[in-house]
Amino acid sequence: MTVKKLKKAAFDKWVAACIGNQRVFGVQAKEDRFVFAPLANAGDLRLDYDVTILPPKKYFLPPRETLLKFDRKEGFESVFDSQPFVLFGVHPYDMVAISQTDKLFAMDQYDTHYFDRRQKATIVACDVQNASKEVFAGCMGTATVDDGFDILITKIDSEYLVDIRTEKGQALADTIKDAEDADEMSLKLRKLVWADNTKLLQKHKLNVRPDVLPRLLDRSYEHPVWEEKAQRCFSCGSCNLVCPTCYCFDVRDDVEWSLQKGQRYRVWDGCLLSEFAAVAGGHNFRRNRADRYRHRYYRKGKYIPEKIGEVACVGCGRCITACTANIANPVEVYNKLVDEGK
Amino acid sequence: MSKLKVAFFDFACCEGCQLQIYNLEEEILDLLELVEPVEWREAMSDQSDDYDVAIIEGSITRIEDEKRLKAIRENAKILIALGSCATTGGVNKLKNNFEVQDVKEYVYGKDADMPHLDTYPTKAVNEVVKVNYMVHGCPINIKEFSYIVRCLAIGKEPKIPDYSVCVECKMKENVCRFEYGEICLGPITRAGCDAKCPSSGMWCFGCRGFVDNPNVNAAEDVMAEYGKTLDDLRGKMLLFGSKQEY
Repeated sequence: MTVKKLKKAAFDKWVAACIGNQRVFGVQAKEDRFVFAPLANAGDLRLDYDVTILPPKKYFLPPRETLLKFDRKEGFESVFDSQPFVLFGVHPYDMVAISQTDKLFAMDQYDTHYFDRRQKATIVACDVQNASKEVFAGCMGTATVDDGFDILITKIDSEYLVDIRTEKGQALADTIKDAEDADEMSLKLRKLVWADNTKLLQKHKLNVRPDVLPRLLDRSYEHPVWEEKAQRCFSCGSCNLVCPTCYCFDVRDDVEWSLQKGQRYRVWDGCLLSEFAAVAGGHNFRRNRADRYRHRYYRKGKYIPEKIGEVACVGCGRCITACTANIANPVEVYNKLVDEGK
Repeated sequence: MSKLKVAFFDFACCEGCQLQIYNLEEEILDLLELVEPVEWREAMSDQSDDYDVAIIEGSITRIEDEKRLKAIRENAKILIALGSCATTGGVNKLKNNFEVQDVKEYVYGKDADMPHLDTYPTKAVNEVVKVNYMVHGCPINIKEFSYIVRCLAIGKEPKIPDYSVCVECKMKENVCRFEYGEICLGPITRAGCDAKCPSSGMWCFGCRGFVDNPNVNAAEDVMAEYGKTLDDLRGKMLLFGSKQEY
């Protein structure tokens, strides 16, 4: 569609107009870090952020979500309580993760709750202005993104390029005032930003192309690295919970005091947690820490690629930051498999 | 459906976990639709030996406590340990870091050897009798207690988390206490509290006890990673994690 160019004042006015018209979640500071949160003032929006603690998946797959309400006599009714909303400031690597989850949640069993929220979202992506200290999206091909979003914002010097790609994006952009169409020079500069970001977002350097990972893992199932790293693993699941491509959940029921009515809800789960692969009767398919630790890498580097043809690690580096034991750096693990396989 | 007859018994503790149950306020009427209390020292004067469920608050610190607890176990179909003191020994296990005689003299002075003040190293309830369900925490999470009661009322096994506080803390999107150079017991502590302390800007004190299989061997390496020592970690664990069984 079109690319507009806005000065800072016009951009802020547009964000304020968006907030006035609908529910907007945007990136804001939280203590020393950043989070997506309800946006009340345009001035609180921090598109200069490095990375958020949790990825925006929390808006499509909330940590806890009621799926249905039941009555032991009357039956059940599915619960859909989402309202339209705008997500402001999604980085390219997170956008790629959302597009991957879209594919996975449409396969096999179409996830109606996920897509209810997904369809009600207008996504405003933004190119990275400051690299976080553990990011390696540049190695994963996710430092920039060309689809999935409704609008893409790129800051060029003191101006904002607003690239409108969909009808939803156009509807949101209708309140833009004092904008001109982006000129040739701005678009050239944007290409330079993309090229720079691909280089800058490589705080860790993966020594293979991501598409080689499935074959690398094929020969690494018995590699000592799994046991070695897992010796320090607390099985706390932090790497899972902060991961933009982890989407596993547990389904639970609870009744009200009446014991007649109740709800079924789902909560985030993680394959590093000790009970993740426990089944009825008490058997646990991955009782050992090392088995669970290894599973996560196979999931990202082999099992998901087999389903959708893309590696399910987008290089955001959140797992590296979140891991108290400092054993969750995927680049370090994959490079080890490369080096010792030679 | 006949109501479950429930009796509360307190041992060494502050009885603050019982207090959490009164804090249900209007919901307490819903609770009383499902259970019939027959003994509950903080709430009523009746006493009875006829009950289905015994709820035990507090730790076991004396020979006569042990006898009383065993008699309760004989009487009860289901026994529930309520709160840290009962589930892990909690704060009372601080005592086990010292010689019993020194503790007695420190607390009771010249009366230390009076027979009615006799005491031994603190035990959690499950170190004395079989416990069917644990309601962890100091104090308990009243939502978890309510959930367990409802599960028992419909004959369903309650699901108590066997994962760490980090899970709930991440869901709250808190900044990790380790990022502030603090030692937080979240990674080894059982969740179920909704990460209350880290969400209020404090490290996790570990009041709910360890997860079933804490990675104790990782502690030294991980402390070194943050420029801390095992003694720093032990210091943090003293309050709730003294001599904890795992």
